[in-house]
Amino acid sequence: MYAIFKREFLSYFRAPVGYVAIAIFTFISGFIFYSQFLTGIVNISSEVISLRSLFVVIVPIITMGLLADDKKRGTDILYYTTPISLFNVVCGKVFASFALFMIMFVNVIIHMIVVLCCGGVIGVGAVGSIIVFIFMAFMFITIGMFASAITDSQIVSAIVSFVIIFVTQLISMISDYIGTAMCSLITMIGIDSEKASSFGNSVKNAVAWFDPFAKTQNFRIGIFSVSALFFLVSIGVLFLYLTYRVLEKKRWSQA
Amino acid sequence: MIEINNLVKRYGDKTAVNDISFSVKNDEVLGFLGPNGAGKTTTMNIITGYISSTSGTVKVNGHDILEEPELAKKEIGYLPENPPLYNDMTVREYLDFMFDLKAVPKAKRKGQLERIITLVKISDVTDRLIGNLSKGYKQRVGIAQAMVGDPSILILDEPTVGLDPNQIIEIRKLIKSLSKSHSIVISSHILPEIQEIADRVVIINKGKIAAVDTLTDLSRRLSGQSKILMTFSGPLKECSSKIRTVPGVSSSVPRVADNKISQLEIGISADNTTEVRAAIFFMMAKEGWPILEFRSLDPSLEEVFLNITTGKRRA
Repeated sequence: MYAIFKREFLSYFRAPVGYVAIAIFTFISGFIFYSQFLTGIVNISSEVISLRSLFVVIVPIITMGLLADDKKRGTDILYYTTPISLFNVVCGKVFASFALFMIMFVNVIIHMIVVLCCGGVIGVGAVGSIIVFIFMAFMFITIGMFASAITDSQIVSAIVSFVIIFVTQLISMISDYIGTAMCSLITMIGIDSEKASSFGNSVKNAVAWFDPFAKTQNFRIGIFSVSALFFLVSIGVLFLYLTYRVLEKKRWSQA
Repeated sequence: MIEINNLVKRYGDKTAVNDISFSVKNDEVLGFLGPNGAGKTTTMNIITGYISSTSGTVKVNGHDILEEPELAKKEIGYLPENPPLYNDMTVREYLDFMFDLKAVPKAKRKGQLERIITLVKISDVTDRLIGNLSKGYKQRVGIAQAMVGDPSILILDEPTVGLDPNQIIEIRKLIKSLSKSHSIVISSHILPEIQEIADRVVIINKGKIAAVDTLTDLSRRLSGQSKILMTFSGPLKECSSKIRTVPGVSSSVPRVADNKISQLEIGISADNTTEVRAAIFFMMAKEGWPILEFRSLDPSLEEVFLNITTGKRRA
């Protein structure tokens, strides 16, 4: 696993990808911090929460090449014909992307140091937001890697992970639409409106249950919930496993 | 050593490899021949564990490739048709990565790395990016990659394709030198190459084995008889009918005739051709027709290959 981790991690710095991702993150986080600083009230928690909207851009950039590039170059054959296990390959790659994310995150730590030096306070809400950020980064990276596993074109992989992450961020809105649509659909086939609206509500809640942002919103006020973190980790592990299965399937494919 | 038993690979309703069995002995170079699309690469991919077979088994030094993949893969170095190289790494970084991937103990690495670099002659490019190397050097790095971890078996899929004649000769020499301490399976459709380095050949066509044998036996078996081309000066027709009377001669076909020289293609069915040739010589001398040249017409691998793969065998 270390071999794959090392190669993938260093390869970010052999091509512009790693630098581009770090530059985007540094610029945006720096800008947010700067504008807060100007007003005189710095809130690390809200900075970190704003930075979550960068997932949709940065995750596709850093994960699109993870497996798609290997397939295109023909180097994926190494994973199958050397004694290394495919699961280790998948884990090594996820951790390489994750490590790059942590390097970007050094920016936020610098901002925190600045705040402390200026006599500010890092509240428990900031710690909560940071924890959520890290777990979400892991979850979205595994989703990006899965997108990279199902195609051998980096562009397609980037688009797929962009769409998935974008939809995840809009899930509360989407769940509203789906709920209303279901409600009117049921009314149309002649079920009374009270039942229909309660059905629509259940559908809405079912979809909204998958919203990682709603699940973790209490962290910013210092209320931590293990089940929310467990949810993020589970989704991450699920996609890790799916990626592993996609790679494994190639070996057994009979079509 | 590799044992391959009843290997079948189906893709949908297409059978890429159909019931192939053969074995590769220790320290032997096995040529794997076949036209494009015959199933060479598929077979090699199955042997190395890249893809699974539909049925059949592959055993590498006694380890089944599907049941004990890690042990079996340790014994194999594989150079696929397109060498799996990372263009953004230097040769040394890449080989280090391969040592990591194959989990070679740290203590063994340094000596092995130096040995591989000298053997495949890449010492002058170790610090260059692979992407900037010529095709010949890339191929060498590919072979170096296969040798990492000191596997006892090397599987090389068309290692000389796309190289210039000088590079081909170099790679061929390299493979020859490797064959002293490794079992090598080498696929190719360039026949002289196989003729020069392989101890045995497996010819495969449309997913089936068409022939397994040593090269000399193969050509003899397929032709069924020896042929000799005789150039002499004398009357062609008369000579042709006379020669048929020599015991052991099965056929005599006139080839060329002009005022000065004539040529006859003589088929000899006897096992030992020496006596027959001597008899022909004395007969010609008696008639006063001087023999200018005697040449053996044993079929080349090329002819053997064509005959087998197009399905018409010579009588």
